[in-house]
Amino acid sequence: MAASALGWALRAARQVLPSPCTRQARSYYVDWRMLRDVKRRKLAYEYADQRLRINAIRKNTILPKELQEVADKEIADLPRDSCPVRIRNRCVLTSRPRGVKRRWRLSRIVFRHFADHAQMSGIQRAMW
Amino acid sequence: STSRMLSTEKDESTASKDSTTEVASKSQEGTAETSKQKLLDIIGNMKVEVSYRKKLQQLKTRETKKRATDEVEGLDSEGGMLQKTTEDSQRGKPLNPELVEAASAVASSLPFNKKQTESELLAQLRRHEETTDKQKKGGIVKIRNIISEMAVKRQSPAQRGVKISSRISLELDEDGKTIKSERFSPQSFDSRRYFCCVPFQSLKVGKRLNIFTKASTETENALKTVSSPTIWDLEFAKQIAAITAQPPRNGFEEMIQWTKEGILWEFPIDNEAGMEDDAEFHEHIFLEKHLRGFPEKGPVRHFMELVICGLSKNPYLSIKQKIEHIEWFQKYFEEKKEFLQEI
Repeated sequence: MAASALGWALRAARQVLPSPCTRQARSYYVDWRMLRDVKRRKLAYEYADQRLRINAIRKNTILPKELQEVADKEIADLPRDSCPVRIRNRCVLTSRPRGVKRRWRLSRIVFRHFADHAQMSGIQRAMW
Repeated sequence: STSRMLSTEKDESTASKDSTTEVASKSQEGTAETSKQKLLDIIGNMKVEVSYRKKLQQLKTRETKKRATDEVEGLDSEGGMLQKTTEDSQRGKPLNPELVEAASAVASSLPFNKKQTESELLAQLRRHEETTDKQKKGGIVKIRNIISEMAVKRQSPAQRGVKISSRISLELDEDGKTIKSERFSPQSFDSRRYFCCVPFQSLKVGKRLNIFTKASTETENALKTVSSPTIWDLEFAKQIAAITAQPPRNGFEEMIQWTKEGILWEFPIDNEAGMEDDAEFHEHIFLEKHLRGFPEKGPVRHFMELVICGLSKNPYLSIKQKIEHIEWFQKYFEEKKEFLQEI
């Protein structure tokens, strides 16, 4: 009995601790603005389907206008942070709102820092 | 080798009568008639495509009769036969001459290659003799027999030379420098032969020695009733996992680790990895059946048909998600029913 329980626990533990690799441990968000941005993203994910469906009713030429006005009111009643327009693509490391490249999610300063230290895979100083 | 015995009953009965008469004349006990009866019954039951097992059974019955006759003579003959096992090479002890005659008679009666069938029968008889011998003498003598049989196997010097050379080459590779010739002293050679020969032959060749008994399944069933593992068990398991998870020695092991973690994809790349859509294409496209809750005519129906048209062209959603989509609209329009009827 103990042996089989041990075996099960071993398998679970092996998945939890794959390798003793030391990475940078970030336990806090960089600043409050980043935290608010994170909340907005979560809410937007939750209400995404509902917003899509209500918008499908609103942006319509077939359904009666009264129905569409009701749908307008409904979508306005949803929490403000649930709309995706309020999300800002901030830098992941410094929370900088401007100068962020989408592919790396980093601001231009951090990107340059890592690229110069050869820590960005496939990035090279351009010269032509 | 399953011998294909097409028995013509008449031939068999004549042959059996010959062998049974021999048996009857030589048996000392008064079991002649019963043995003849038994043989006749057995051979009479033989049909086309007699299986290997039936033939073995026949031979066994014949041999048990021989055993019964020989017991009376005493153990000396068996002791003599034991000595013969140690002396003979590979062939084993000589068979009872009566059995040999019986086998030759049976072989002569059959239409196929007589010598081949005779040799096959004799080989089987030999094997059965040895098994009955072992069963009779019991545990201690079994080991003696086993060891004597092991000693009997003599390889040709050519084979031996090949094996030695292969072993030498292996050991040279490990060392690289020394030849280790001291190892091949004649005393240690024989004892190691039994250990080294195992990789050259398969482990399942040869007779079962019945040394080990099968593990009982009761303990396995008892293990299955498990309560949730304690914290100490989990800690212990984590410790073991941490110790056994050594850092990768080379790039291949690193890639293996990454694949297990999910960082690296599996090659050749499977386009549908992680996607488990078991539904057929028609379930995705023909979604009209889900529109039963809606009114037949009117703008709502028109709207829903457009929705379905869009969903059928969507490859990214699963069927469940599409059905949920349609059901949400159904609920929404039901709530707005009174409002719609005012319009």
